[in-house]
Amino acid sequence: MKGKCRVGTKRWLYTPFAGKRGRAAFFFLLLAIVLFPTASHAYAGPGAGFAVLSSFWAIFVAFLYSFYALITWPFRQLFRFLRRRNAYRKATFERAVILGFDGMDPDLADRFMNEGRLPNLAQLRDKGTFSKLRTTFPAISPVAWSTFMTGVNPGKHNIYDFLARNTSNYLPFLSSAEIKGPKRHIKIGKYSIPFGKTEIKAMRKGTPFWHWLGNAGIFSSVIRVPVTFPPEKFQGVLLSGMCVPDLKGSQGTFCLCTTRASNDKFREGGVRVPIERKNGVCRSYIPGPENPLVEKAGELRVAFEIRTEPGSKQARFVFGSEKFTLKVGEYSEWIPAEFKAGMGFTAHGICRFYLKELSPEVEVYVTPVNIDPGHPDLPISHPVTYSIYLAKLFGPYATLGLAEDTWALNEHVLDDDAFLAQAYGNHEDRERMLFDALDKTKRGLCTCVFDTTDRVQHMFWRYLEEDHPAARDVPHSQHPRVIQDLYERMDCLIGRVMEKIDDDTLLMVISDHGFKSFARCMNVNAWLHQNGYLALKDGKTESGDWFEDVDWSRTRAYTMGLNGLYLNIKGREKQGIVDPAEAEVLKDELQKKLNGLVDPASGTVGVTGVFITDAFYRGPYTENAPDLLVGYGAGYRASWDSVMGKVTGQIFEDNTKAWSGDHCIDPRLVPGVLFSSHKFVEEKPALVDVAPTILKVFGLALPAHFDGKPWTLAAQKKFLSTGGTDVPRQGC
Amino acid sequence: MAITGQAVAIATFKVFLLTSPLAIVVVLSLVVGLLMVVLFGYTSDQKAIGIAKDQLKAQLLAVRLYRDQVPVVMDSYGKILRGTGRYLKLAFKPLLYVIIPVTLLMVQIDRYLGATPIPANTPFLLTVYLAGPSTTGQTSGSGALNDVTLDLPPEIAMTAPPVHIPAGNEIVWRLVGSRDGKYEVKIAAGGQSAAKVVCVGSGLVRISTVRLRGHFWERMFSSAEPVLPENSLIEFISINYPDRNVEVAGYGMNWIWLFFILSMVAGFIFKELLGIKI
Repeated sequence: MKGKCRVGTKRWLYTPFAGKRGRAAFFFLLLAIVLFPTASHAYAGPGAGFAVLSSFWAIFVAFLYSFYALITWPFRQLFRFLRRRNAYRKATFERAVILGFDGMDPDLADRFMNEGRLPNLAQLRDKGTFSKLRTTFPAISPVAWSTFMTGVNPGKHNIYDFLARNTSNYLPFLSSAEIKGPKRHIKIGKYSIPFGKTEIKAMRKGTPFWHWLGNAGIFSSVIRVPVTFPPEKFQGVLLSGMCVPDLKGSQGTFCLCTTRASNDKFREGGVRVPIERKNGVCRSYIPGPENPLVEKAGELRVAFEIRTEPGSKQARFVFGSEKFTLKVGEYSEWIPAEFKAGMGFTAHGICRFYLKELSPEVEVYVTPVNIDPGHPDLPISHPVTYSIYLAKLFGPYATLGLAEDTWALNEHVLDDDAFLAQAYGNHEDRERMLFDALDKTKRGLCTCVFDTTDRVQHMFWRYLEEDHPAARDVPHSQHPRVIQDLYERMDCLIGRVMEKIDDDTLLMVISDHGFKSFARCMNVNAWLHQNGYLALKDGKTESGDWFEDVDWSRTRAYTMGLNGLYLNIKGREKQGIVDPAEAEVLKDELQKKLNGLVDPASGTVGVTGVFITDAFYRGPYTENAPDLLVGYGAGYRASWDSVMGKVTGQIFEDNTKAWSGDHCIDPRLVPGVLFSSHKFVEEKPALVDVAPTILKVFGLALPAHFDGKPWTLAAQKKFLSTGGTDVPRQGC
Repeated sequence: MAITGQAVAIATFKVFLLTSPLAIVVVLSLVVGLLMVVLFGYTSDQKAIGIAKDQLKAQLLAVRLYRDQVPVVMDSYGKILRGTGRYLKLAFKPLLYVIIPVTLLMVQIDRYLGATPIPANTPFLLTVYLAGPSTTGQTSGSGALNDVTLDLPPEIAMTAPPVHIPAGNEIVWRLVGSRDGKYEVKIAAGGQSAAKVVCVGSGLVRISTVRLRGHFWERMFSSAEPVLPENSLIEFISINYPDRNVEVAGYGMNWIWLFFILSMVAGFIFKELLGIKI
């Protein structure tokens, strides 16, 4: 464009723009403008500038890094060779793939295999291994998966339940991680600006086996294994799973925005937020974390609007800068939610909206606000960029530890279909992550845990039984085949994984525990109260949550959480009264009285085992363990009230909630499953053996503190290349 | 008094805006940055662009995450190249919408900001290029060059005899303007006459550095004067106006560089504010 004509040149004349070729010339001129903005005459605004810079920036960065990588590669390789020259040298397999199906039950798997529903698992059974896998005491996921990864008993990894109790006030806290805000603050007017980092303390102790692999130079991809929050540094990539909090810091707080007036509070994991309706526009908000900058300022909120036409079955949502339309019964995509605290502080979350109803009332369910994986305010992966990488590659995904909103289904905020849509949506995201990890991890360890099996069985077991209290109103002929479908879906997934692996890969499919019905609740606190071990304040016949109105000066034992029973020991509990010297006697007494306790309504045994933990917990953290574990019989579990430290009048009652299957019972009744592509010679494999087995598979020495024993492979036999299988592999 | 003072301040500011190249470029960059981002947002497939950019970022991160796994890194490089192509493809259509108005706008602005008028009493060169016989059917060559005459207004004077360059079919005059203003010099060749505007002075003036015959696209981008007749022996007439530099913190630079930087910054800010993916 600069009209600079030089004397003595024919620059203008030789440019063939005129005439018939003008159009083509103009096209090429535009192309030149786009492609070569560095020439001053070819710049055409920021659009072109950004487009070109973005493109070339990507290539430039990639090649700059590759140049650096290329230059330093020999040195890095030499360094690694010297440091890890034994990696893979003694390995039996180049790669191990562990699929964790939380809660897959061996009896159900066996039944469905025999019915021909699970051809891929049946193939593993026939050519490799199928066995029950002894679980941990107690059979609770965070306990079991901690044992899985560390190869030690709970006394060495310090996880005994989802919750642990504070001995100074008898209140619960999350057992896996403790999050503390920055210690120092700078006061500016009404603002108190945090100075420093949020401190996240891992409560789970012990070393995951992928750390040992990493030390030996073996790369690992670890996806959503429970109790891996906060993520720890090692050689590999890891996305944290169960126990990752939501943006509020809870383990999942859903939101029901509604025009229905109600003062009722949800018992579990949710809040009700009013919708204000005015001139056809509904306005509400999503509650977020507490304002970190202003004391007592309350929670941060993000407002949204719902616009709808009368009689319409869909509504337009305006949420910040996001606009989307939902039909009744439809979920939104993950929507970014930014909670602004002022002074540039913003908490980044994501959530999904589900339009429940538009007429006569308006109701919208909003998932717990998950930490945004593309912009994580807390570390949810190692390295931090791994969660961002996955978010960029596949889009936003659920990061909350318990991402499937079981509480919302329990509270009838979601119906069966809406819950399943949410659960399988998360599951599909997880599958994409798994297959990406399989593609990226050609050597080393690839492990991924799927929670869907656990959540769906928890919520839909009621349809497996003739007369489950939670499904009594539904004729058996109308029970949906949810759990059968679940197992078939998992089998399909295994089929697709098997297509991705070869003879040099060991495939293991494991679960941390099995499943049983949860038809009857037992309130052990009520039993302790009625049998004189727990006392309430004078005039009280029931307590509130978390031992409100319990008279500790007359209480010798109490229970909170799912299986743990604690003595109120002098010197340990703040108001303890049991002399440590008398503790053993009291334990024996409780064991004898509780063991074999019969449910008077049905005549069946509600407690099939009471275990004194001294007998099987060893390690530096046994002092945090419960004194006894209550092993409920099949069909029974701790009541919802008992879990929350509440004393009620009734010991046994029906469980009418959708949460109708469980595993927090006598661990002997709920072993997990073990399938493998290659045969292991082991009569009674246990979950604690997985870590030493994997180290052995890669030819590494076992740490002395391991409690598990490695399994022995049967005479090596090619699994996948062996022809003549009865049932071909089936992908879906 | 206060109102008068305010009015004077506003008037002064307006004069500054209208006469200061720096102010013009700054304001223009901000406005263009905003308009172009909005236009890009409306004319592009924002979702697809977002996905394409995310995929690129993912592959960049993969290179870092799996740096010791050569096949993974090589695969990511391939995907980066493919992703870049995909992104450019997505950006091309909206860029067409953006480029055309901006290009036309910049052509017009360049006529004001690209060059300065010839200062009075400063010599400058006027170059006339004659077309070959094949294009006009008329006689050319050294004979034709000898026949070219120049008719100057009183304010423009010739300071040296014309220089004939037969090899280039060119004739060059060295001229000087004695007073600020816009003047027409007339060149006669082959029995036809053509005029060229000469701007003498300082300040912001619309300047045309060249007058052309034919060459539609060149004329659109570089000439602000009417086309020379198709049968004219003269192919173009040019004047070597000095380049204009915009002063920023003591550094002189072509306005287009400043425009590039400022409009990019403005675009970056506005794209964030408006949530538009570029």
